[in-house]
Amino acid sequence: MKKKLAALLLAGSMVLSLAACGGGGSSKEEGDSSATASLSVTTTFAGEDGNAQNYKNAIAEFEEKEGIKVNDSSATSDETFKARVETDFQTGSEPDVLFFFSGADANSFIEEGKVVSIDTIREEYPDYASNMNDDLIAASLVDGEKYAVPVNGYWEGLFCNTAVLEAAGVEVPGADYTWEQFLADCEKIKEAGYAPIAASLGEIPHYWWEYSIFNHTSTETHLEVPASTDEGNGPGWVEGMEDIKELYEKGYFPENTLSAKDDETFAMFTSDKAAFLIDGSWKVGGIAAACQSDPEDPSTLDTDKLDNFTVTYVPTNGEREATDLIGGLSMGYYISAKAWEDESKREAAVKFVEYMTSDEKVALFAQHTASALKEAPEVNEEDFNSLQIKSIKMMADVTSLTGAVQDVFSDECRVSTFDGMPQIVTGEVSAKDAVQEGLEIYAEQNAE
Amino acid sequence: MGANIYKNKKPLVLFLVPALIFMTVFLYYPFVQNILNSFQQISSLGAANKGWNDPWYENYIKMFQDKHMRTALFNTVVMMAVTIIGQVGVAIVLAVLVDNIKKGAKFFRTVYFFPIVISATALGLMFNLIFLYDKGMINQLLEMFGKSSLTDWKDSSHALFIMMLPVMWQYVGFYFVILVTGLNNISEELYESASIDGATKWQKVRFITLPLLRNVICTCVVLAVTGALKVFDLPWVMFPKGMPLGKTWLTGTYMYYQTFNTKNVDYSSAIAVLIVVLGIITSKVVNKVFKEADY
Repeated sequence: MKKKLAALLLAGSMVLSLAACGGGGSSKEEGDSSATASLSVTTTFAGEDGNAQNYKNAIAEFEEKEGIKVNDSSATSDETFKARVETDFQTGSEPDVLFFFSGADANSFIEEGKVVSIDTIREEYPDYASNMNDDLIAASLVDGEKYAVPVNGYWEGLFCNTAVLEAAGVEVPGADYTWEQFLADCEKIKEAGYAPIAASLGEIPHYWWEYSIFNHTSTETHLEVPASTDEGNGPGWVEGMEDIKELYEKGYFPENTLSAKDDETFAMFTSDKAAFLIDGSWKVGGIAAACQSDPEDPSTLDTDKLDNFTVTYVPTNGEREATDLIGGLSMGYYISAKAWEDESKREAAVKFVEYMTSDEKVALFAQHTASALKEAPEVNEEDFNSLQIKSIKMMADVTSLTGAVQDVFSDECRVSTFDGMPQIVTGEVSAKDAVQEGLEIYAEQNAE
Repeated sequence: MGANIYKNKKPLVLFLVPALIFMTVFLYYPFVQNILNSFQQISSLGAANKGWNDPWYENYIKMFQDKHMRTALFNTVVMMAVTIIGQVGVAIVLAVLVDNIKKGAKFFRTVYFFPIVISATALGLMFNLIFLYDKGMINQLLEMFGKSSLTDWKDSSHALFIMMLPVMWQYVGFYFVILVTGLNNISEELYESASIDGATKWQKVRFITLPLLRNVICTCVVLAVTGALKVFDLPWVMFPKGMPLGKTWLTGTYMYYQTFNTKNVDYSSAIAVLIVVLGIITSKVVNKVFKEADY
């Protein structure tokens, strides 16, 4: 009898401790949020992003000013990051405030109603995002509603390492850069022993993909995804892929472009081993960091080294002008429905977004890129480094900014041409088949 | 007194039930659900299913026609062979060697076990730096010895070998420790009587050590082989997405890719079912080869 009692007690305590573990966890969480308000935030201002340091400073200021703790899980924006954000929404562990893309990448959680629209927020807080020009705020592809308050825009251009160009006897490209000139320049650079183009086709073919297609569409039709490889922009897409294949076959990409990571090929560019790099405005900060002996501290910038870099227009072999760039305001701050419905978090989330999208902060973050501000404050040239000044000058002569079609072409559609880029350039898969596969998945998704 | 313990089984059941509930909820239910998932249409993690596949075995047909799946299966079989020879084989050699030395046995045990304690992701990043094309350790050493061109260790001809090398290296210690424990169970008297009979060191290993270790080796081989089916972290960090050109797919990494990158959740569920089936078959085969013998 004693033994039975002991056994029962032990089993009972084991079950109770299991239950307590589960229960204890959640009650601890509730205790936390009622004591000091805390906000979980995810953005892309991390790693090599030019605004990573600005963001950290802004958070510190916000925490001090409002007394709200910010749990930041920002990370560099890449495919892993996008997958992580989508999974977080699906598993219910999404952040309270999210700075993310406003194109096809956001479709999954907007469809599920996991974020609140700007109009809904304005019902409670009429001044929300009132400093923004509504026309420039991107509408969601799902329902045409606006969800994300933009901060900075972006552009994608051709960065050049002028030291390498000089060594190879090539002039810095100008506003009328043609594809033929580009090919000729690449040949000269290759003969001089440098890699003409720094790109990792195995990891990030995104920019070359975009511009190669852009070179065969036009500023008006670029965002139209064709129904098949024979209709609309279809043939243009195939020709674009074949252009990249041509560059690969001529040996203008680094030798290990199919197996290297983007960081590696970027390091080639900043250590004077490659001449051209198509990348976005965010990379300006990354290039500057590569010229600093302490990447976190802008005061250690080696200005002579940075002077060797410039940014210019992308060569064209189609309808577009070299000065027609890809760009826009494709990211913004979302507030999750989870945070909105939580009384204690609602106020904090709105305050945070308003703080980060105030005129002052937007000017600081946007700097040499675009923004949706109604009234952009004046910027002092002395606050910028040489590459930023060159970017601003370049942007001044840009004739148009067109959105990226990959923003409307979701992940699954991109598999055959992004992940499959090595197969396309080595000829394992024909460009036409790869593009057709992606377009079919797109058609399927949009028929639903 | 002794018989009483076995008569009344009810307390035993009470102790076992909580763990059983836990496993049913977190292991068996998802397992069954996964099998069901492989017959349905699911477009992303956590999304509700959109009905049954048409035909319901569609994913399994796709698996047999998928070029990447064939590569993955082939690579996994190669990996199994590599783990048997490279992990368990090397571990046996090391265990026998360490068993024969008097001083320093503890030191070697710690040193060989150490790689397992390190996160596989961290190891992957370290090996990435070692095999980096430009300024990687190996390429720098080769340059010092006079080689003029850089070797791309991650291109099609080297990729598979470079992927398997760190995986092999990391787990040798694990099997080494298991085998050393197995060796400790062999009675000293057997070795002594063998010495008296004039056996050489090699004969002792061949006729005493190895046969008596048979059961332990069987366990290690089963673990190694099923591990090869599941391995993910190191290969993914070094060769994500089957880079280059889809030559380095393994069943584990391909399943992950289909779930998280292409979001084809039902197809990846089918791959998971395949991995389980292969695991059961291979462990049964290994058990038969190393049949439990009574010595």
